[in-house]
Amino acid sequence: MIKRRLAISIIPILVTLFAVTPTFAQGEALAGDFTVSHYFGGFGGEFIEEIVDGFVAENPGLNREESPVDHEQFKTSILVQLAGGNPPDTFSYWAGARIQFIVDGDRLQPIDDVWTENDLGSMFPQAVIDTGLTYNGQIYAVPLTLHWVGMFYNTALFEQVGAGVPQTWDELVEVAERFKEAGIPAFSLGSRERWPAQFWFDMILLRTAGNDYRNRLMNGEASYTDPEVVRAFSLWKELVDAEYFHPDANAYDYIQSADFVANGEAAMTLMGTWIGGHYTSDLGMVPGEDYDYFAFPIIDEGVPHASLGPVDTFVVSKEAANSDAAKAFLVYLTDPEVQLAFADGAGNLAPSLMADTSGYDPVKQRIAEEIARDPVFAYNYDLATPPPVAEVGLNAFSEFMARPGNFEALLERVQQDAAAEFADLN
Amino acid sequence: MIRVGSGKVGKPIKWSYLLGRTVLFIVLTALLIVFMLPVYGVIVTSFKSVAEVSTSGYWNLPQSLNLANFIKVLNPDDGNLGLYLKNSLLLTIPASVFSIALGTLAGYGLAKYSFNGNAALFVFMVAGMFLPPQIALIPIFRLMNDIGLYDTLWAVIIIHTAFGIPICTLIMRNFFYTVPNALREAALIDGANDYGIFVRIMLPLTRPALAVLATLQFTWIWNDFLWPFILTQRADSRTVMVGILNLTGQYSVDWGGQAAASFVASLPTLVIFIFFQRYFIRGLTVGAVKG
Amino acid sequence: MYKRYKWIVPATFLFLPVTVYLAFVIIPTLNSLFYSFTDWAGYGADFDLIWLDNFARIFTDRLFSNAIKNTATWLALAMSVPTLAGLCLALALQGKNAVNTAYKSLFYLPIALSPIIVGIIWVWIYSPQLGIVNLTLKAIGQEHLARAWLANPDTALIAVFVAWAWQQTGLNMVIFLAGLTSVPVPLVEAARVDGANYWQTLRRVTIPMLRPATVVVMALTAINALKSFEVIWVMTKGGPFNSSDTLAVFMYSESFRKYKMGYGSSIAVVLFLMTLIIIVLYFRQTAAAEELYD
Repeated sequence: MIKRRLAISIIPILVTLFAVTPTFAQGEALAGDFTVSHYFGGFGGEFIEEIVDGFVAENPGLNREESPVDHEQFKTSILVQLAGGNPPDTFSYWAGARIQFIVDGDRLQPIDDVWTENDLGSMFPQAVIDTGLTYNGQIYAVPLTLHWVGMFYNTALFEQVGAGVPQTWDELVEVAERFKEAGIPAFSLGSRERWPAQFWFDMILLRTAGNDYRNRLMNGEASYTDPEVVRAFSLWKELVDAEYFHPDANAYDYIQSADFVANGEAAMTLMGTWIGGHYTSDLGMVPGEDYDYFAFPIIDEGVPHASLGPVDTFVVSKEAANSDAAKAFLVYLTDPEVQLAFADGAGNLAPSLMADTSGYDPVKQRIAEEIARDPVFAYNYDLATPPPVAEVGLNAFSEFMARPGNFEALLERVQQDAAAEFADLN
Repeated sequence: MIRVGSGKVGKPIKWSYLLGRTVLFIVLTALLIVFMLPVYGVIVTSFKSVAEVSTSGYWNLPQSLNLANFIKVLNPDDGNLGLYLKNSLLLTIPASVFSIALGTLAGYGLAKYSFNGNAALFVFMVAGMFLPPQIALIPIFRLMNDIGLYDTLWAVIIIHTAFGIPICTLIMRNFFYTVPNALREAALIDGANDYGIFVRIMLPLTRPALAVLATLQFTWIWNDFLWPFILTQRADSRTVMVGILNLTGQYSVDWGGQAAASFVASLPTLVIFIFFQRYFIRGLTVGAVKG
Repeated sequence: MYKRYKWIVPATFLFLPVTVYLAFVIIPTLNSLFYSFTDWAGYGADFDLIWLDNFARIFTDRLFSNAIKNTATWLALAMSVPTLAGLCLALALQGKNAVNTAYKSLFYLPIALSPIIVGIIWVWIYSPQLGIVNLTLKAIGQEHLARAWLANPDTALIAVFVAWAWQQTGLNMVIFLAGLTSVPVPLVEAARVDGANYWQTLRRVTIPMLRPATVVVMALTAINALKSFEVIWVMTKGGPFNSSDTLAVFMYSESFRKYKMGYGSSIAVVLFLMTLIIIVLYFRQTAAAEELYD
């Protein structure tokens, strides 16, 4: 931990010395107050701070104001700031429907100018640029990290029951059954804050109906009562009914449920790569030895394989007091070294194509290959559908975990409410 | 039990009475133990590491008086509660003083002068006490932005001053009401003017009421979460209640850290409670019962 | 001459407090009323006046009726449980001796804590594996009763309520204790001399004399209950799936999680009207009480 922090403090200095100097540093010196707001409150926060420090060290004219906020509280506080017309100059935000939402509310400014000047288009995968950074035809964000959702498991437990890595749905059920016989819940889900449950719906739907159908559902063009959605819930229900899940999912948050896997109370958890940051940094687990991952099994052959996860980006407020500094900061964030430094600390992946991934731990290296191989990268539910609709769905997922019985009636209600929210948005 | 002491009426003490008292004492003690369990839980947990909590649970006594959690939550590179505590003080003290000062002015004006609409104005001023504060959240946020106070402690100070006016007015008005008018009339005859009377005669009398309000306001403002959460953003202007809720996300599985933070954040109001309990209780009752 | 301008002097006392109160309490509240007639999303610049559409929508919103139902449950529980508990404690701890004084302070101590802290503590108490509630049930052989109290839609609201009542009981006790000091001792003694036993005295003399205190307790409890937000937010955020949504929580999540500030404001208006009813009842009751005992 200490070593890594040292390494990270050196990186900004190295970057200053050797990296291509961003456009703004050559022109007029940046000055004035500079406010950064982000949601990396827990692990990850300290690494962002190092990055901002490095940026300010390069631009001594800036008076930096930075404020980490707890992930859940950020969702409220940033909105209130945007509403009041006194937002931070730049802030972290989730690519997808959430950025779209505030772009439509006219709260962000496009960054096409610095994007082209610095030729940033060549630095990121086109898919990320198209779906994550471009809104209404203009570039609004730069990506800082890429996350990937997969099944993270306790290797010792898999050995103990003699389970291999499941490739198909049937194999997954078989493994889960084996754990059940051994008296260990196969799946640990902590949906106290609701969102972890969405990954189950996302993955099953992506592996059955596919990404194109899912996109239509997220945009309000398909219905939650469609056979595609019903099938996804039926499959999910099989696992719940068979009691493969650790009991009382809604009672735990995602860290608590990940810890069940770490300490052997459950076998695996469907979670984003950030949980690797928790396992290695907080619990001292060794990737590939103490824990490992596998991609969510294939359910229907022939459905294009999709990766799922959020992309953290930084955006510039429309009413930013210091737009120049904010844009320069965004350019700074695209530096491969900066991206790697953050990915290293927080357990995620650097989106930059220029990033040298040889330093990744073995688990992350395989995940990076996985992402590169998959033809589709999809955003998780609450980032794929507009926030008011996501509220409806997130509540429904946790209701399903508590009362899986009559999910058809639940889906009918979800469809009604979602349709009403979509109608409001237009 | 009712204070008709049994002796007073001259009857001998009955066994049934003693038995009743004993049973009552036992029941109350049992109840008290249950009632105090949450507080006990926080105190014992605050001394435990994550490892100790997972082996011995939350409710057993700690193995040692390990202060690591307290050091951690106060450390500027970790919990940073030291800064938040300081901010809370810088906010709570002026906000308490201002709200009490304004309440004293209003209470005096309402208690000692009769003018048309006095009663209506009194009800109007006190009614704010009952407003659910969430109602005005967004407009106040915008207002603070417009006058450039957003993300400063001043924004929160002003709001707590304003929202404290109703209770302070109520208590001060009721207090001044009990001050005999003869005192004022005598001074008027002696040639004093209204303001002189207020400053030299009335204010010195208010000390007990001020003590009551000071404890009340301090506790409420210190404990408030909503306003500092909405009106401040940077760590430099964050109060302890906002900070602590941030920490519960960060210390998700570290209940020892959460407990230590809770304990530290509650200490000032607990101290006030222990030393000024008499005033505190008076404030809640005098103001309310006579209302 | 002086008489005609007799409002000038009080106006100098009242000017500053009234101005601050108007500017930072009343006007923002009225401003919110205005938003309740709009479809403002809360972050964008533009919105449309839709007049009563929000209010029409409220009455068809399943989640609103759910919140009303929960608020009614909460209110009914609040008016009975901590009120009765406070009264019993006050009667039991009346009278000055060392034990009573110590016990009173301890029962009253939770009131000094922030609702945030109360919420944090009670989340642990209900923890499915390590919480004291389930551990106790296990210890007394009633393990089948153990459950994830806050995650179970049937128990979440009640569980949060207990945490809230923990704090409210002490407050009620204190007000009842103050009320008891104004019960004239001779009256009670007279009743005892007449041969009334403790319970008869309590029912015929003490309780009726506690009427003003009861009115205060009821009104304060009702208003605190309608306003209660922080404890619920910290413990469940209204969940799981809206099962512990009260009006205050529902208003907050519609505004800040669904980004519907206009709709949220209209819920706030309903909440305000409900509070207003209680305020009016309260002032009428206290007026009656004062006439009665003056």
